[in-house]
Amino acid sequence: MSAKSNTVNTVLGPVPADELGIVSVHEALLSVVPGAEHAFDISMDRAEIFETLAAKLADFRAKGGRTIVDSTGMFHGRDVRLYEALSRSADVHIVASTGMGPEELLGGYFLTPQTNPPTPWPAEKFADLFTKEVTEGMVVPRVERRGAAGLVATTASRDGMTPTDESLFRGAARTALHTGVPVSIRFGDDAVHDLGIVLEEKLPADRVIVGGLDRSDSVAAGAPLEIARLGAYVALDHVGLEDDDHVTDKERAALVAELVKAGHGDRILLSSNAIGAAKGRPDHDLPYSYVLSDFVPLLTAQGLSDEDVQRILVDNPRDLLTVR
Amino acid sequence: MSRVNTVLGPIPAEELGLVAVHEHIGYGMPGSELDTRWWRTPEQRYEETVPKLRRFHELGGGTFVDATGICNGRDVDYYKSLSAKTGVHIVASTGFVGGDTALPFFARATVDYLARHFIHEITVGIGTTGGRAGIIKVGVSRGGRMTDLDKRIYRAAARAALATGVPILTHLAIDAENAITVFNEEGLPLDRVLFGHVDDGVNADKTRDTWIAEQGGRIGFDTFGYETELEDPPFWARPRKERLDHFLRFIGQGHLGQVLASADANCSPLGWPGVKGHTVNYIFEDLIPDLRAAGLDESAIKTIFVDNPADFLTIKN
Repeated sequence: MSAKSNTVNTVLGPVPADELGIVSVHEALLSVVPGAEHAFDISMDRAEIFETLAAKLADFRAKGGRTIVDSTGMFHGRDVRLYEALSRSADVHIVASTGMGPEELLGGYFLTPQTNPPTPWPAEKFADLFTKEVTEGMVVPRVERRGAAGLVATTASRDGMTPTDESLFRGAARTALHTGVPVSIRFGDDAVHDLGIVLEEKLPADRVIVGGLDRSDSVAAGAPLEIARLGAYVALDHVGLEDDDHVTDKERAALVAELVKAGHGDRILLSSNAIGAAKGRPDHDLPYSYVLSDFVPLLTAQGLSDEDVQRILVDNPRDLLTVR
Repeated sequence: MSRVNTVLGPIPAEELGLVAVHEHIGYGMPGSELDTRWWRTPEQRYEETVPKLRRFHELGGGTFVDATGICNGRDVDYYKSLSAKTGVHIVASTGFVGGDTALPFFARATVDYLARHFIHEITVGIGTTGGRAGIIKVGVSRGGRMTDLDKRIYRAAARAALATGVPILTHLAIDAENAITVFNEEGLPLDRVLFGHVDDGVNADKTRDTWIAEQGGRIGFDTFGYETELEDPPFWARPRKERLDHFLRFIGQGHLGQVLASADANCSPLGWPGVKGHTVNYIFEDLIPDLRAAGLDESAIKTIFVDNPADFLTIKN
């Protein structure tokens, strides 16, 4: 796609980037722990899942949201046809993602293939798999391809990047280079290191969103500022979650103000990693509108202007998601 | 009452006939469904599969045991249609081919949860299909030793076998000491376990088939036909004569009542190229003629392909 087209890949096709409006960049619509779809005690009632998600998207729309990014990748419950129907019904743009990770969430096909020895997949094969999800369309497994993925998302293991995680990161970076969609990475134990892996592939930093930078460990290490300095997007993407692993919303708001003050207002993204419908894991049942309804007032209290807020919620995600 | 679960419902063991005890309608590693290089249309799938099953039936085949585990492309609605249209009884599996084919949801699960899942698939049904599993598949992950997850799956399988009376079929019989320890700890009689793939080209030398038989286990020579003589043999292939001699030698040691044989072929592979020319019908076209030529009488052949599998598959409770 040419640089001039300025469009974003949604499940209903390319949309002019200026139409995205307020975007939530790291959310989950249907989230299924791989394998849970086979579990005897888990219902996969599509009508019920649709109803749950439609209500949450309607609330998001009512509070001013226009675009949801499902950043769960291609192997965690992504259901392209369901998302198409939801997008039409709720009048919300839905950007779906390709990609996978971390290693623990992969299928055996990628880890112990039927070869001797069973060598895990290298970066180039992941790049090819993910690239086709953009250039040829996202898969409905063993049935068909549909619309183009709007980003490629991957994650490193929490204890630190494994060799297969590194292949996923490099494959994701090459996908971004080949196709022009951005990369979303969730770091393992070292955000700067993990970003460095995709930058080694010569991907410009402004094509990368680094998630999880509101984790307490990364804030303590000064990672958000360092990532912004490197030119990547800083996602404070657990807004509304207050647990032992993450800073509080109040601390998040202060961090946003600090980044803006340091001149990185064009590198901040906010999201909640809310899960609309969870299967095989506990819910994170937070409204997609939480950032708008509950967090933006904290930013205003920190002295952020309406322009700052507009930049973070509208301009930054638009620039990130625009296919280059 | 003698009873075996097939995908179309329970049948009497007397109706099983000749059994191919370790086969696949179609096998793929989990995740292979994302890779379009392996996709086929449903028309192609039926076209590749139906003639093989029909021929199996015409040659005298009664029952096809599908050893495809959860997450490997097991598709019970499809099996039901194949069974209904070809007249071949199809027995489906619960369980996993190995820990490395269990997806994260199951890899993280407790032994108790896995056992309840297996029991549900045996007594209530697989998903929404209504078809009940007739066997429990377990196996050893790549690498030659049982992983912790493999052991949890074996233990859950043992509990489900005891609770339901359905038997266990293993992928690989290497590291059998660990497997048998688990089964003994759970109190499962070893004649409820078929230790499979004792004959494959990679693992035969490392598999203590005689020792397993002495402990009371059943022994599966079930990769017949994966031969080095093939045009494009897989890495687990073995010279034809070497495998046959191994089998005959083993029977000659007095283990006829404990052996089962099969071809482990894919009718239409789901996530790998498959092996051209290798089908379930190797049993009729090559193996049984070879056994006759080696001097086995019809009674011995019936023991291997009819009586042993009927006794093994019959729900014991």
